[in-house]
Amino acid sequence: MSGPGRRTGPTGTYADEYADEYAEVLASALRGPARARARLVAEMREGLAETVTAYTGEGLPHDLAVRRAVREFGTVAEVAPSCQRELTVAQVRHTARAVTLAAPLLTVCWYLFLATGHGGQLPMATRMLAFPLAGFAAVAALLAATVLAATGPLARRLPTPHRLPRATAWAGTTAGVCLGVSALTLAASSPLSENWPVVALAGALAAVLHTVVASSARACRDCARA
Amino acid sequence: MKADAVRGHLDGLLLAVLEPGPLHGYAIITAVQRRSAGALELRTGTVYPALNRLERTGLLRSSWDSTGERKRRRYELTDAGRRALAEERSAWQAFTAAIGSVLDPAPHPGHAG
Repeated sequence: MSGPGRRTGPTGTYADEYADEYAEVLASALRGPARARARLVAEMREGLAETVTAYTGEGLPHDLAVRRAVREFGTVAEVAPSCQRELTVAQVRHTARAVTLAAPLLTVCWYLFLATGHGGQLPMATRMLAFPLAGFAAVAALLAATVLAATGPLARRLPTPHRLPRATAWAGTTAGVCLGVSALTLAASSPLSENWPVVALAGALAAVLHTVVASSARACRDCARA
Repeated sequence: MKADAVRGHLDGLLLAVLEPGPLHGYAIITAVQRRSAGALELRTGTVYPALNRLERTGLLRSSWDSTGERKRRRYELTDAGRRALAEERSAWQAFTAAIGSVLDPAPHPGHAG
């Protein structure tokens, strides 16, 4: 990929038209959280437009101004790897944050289940399931919190391990499985509970958390492969 | 100086040009080029992810700034960024002093003969 082709349109300046096209190609080459990607691409789009405008302001013809600007700025193929590295870390942090927040909420779900099921007809096996699932999620949350610290202020002192995105994706997947199994167990057990609306609500919360964490873990795997 | 040679010092350069006050991405790039009198070749597209990284690690903070039709992200140093810049300066001075003492052919006083 050597950058977008040249095209002018009826609206906007030549620099803006070219920068829009460059930004579109760059955005399509990148993976990562939508907001972080949009912000980075928007910044770069403005930077390229200003570079082209500066060259045309010096009196260069449009074609030459664009060629100089892209040579200085870098083609999409040249700049995409450094952008992807940063977006991968952004996705890792996004997934880690989701896991860190989901684990305490999963504990709340199971607490509601055990509290309302006390004295009811809930099978012992179902009750016993609460502890390993909450434990797995807690370990995943602990790992995720470590990831947040390692990719935040500590990143100045410690190099980011190459395998961190993949490890975070697996931690997210583990937490997602725990949340999914919890959601199914809570939903299936709710009719047996003395206070079934509360247990059903806990199941719904676990299902929502499962969706958030699992999709974030999937995005993290995509970034790790990019 | 080629872009590859500059890469290892990019963080320090970006922090240094932001020391006097907040700037947006394009102004940061032009400030580096102006201060180096054009001697440093920067692949300017890679400056933006570097700014994002410095913000993530707490050395910079940023906010959107609308000037005319353009909406730009404006960066400024945090206290941690000022401390990191001071460390970069000290490390650079120690490095150049060490390399200079090897490359400089002038004999040191007390080591003649």
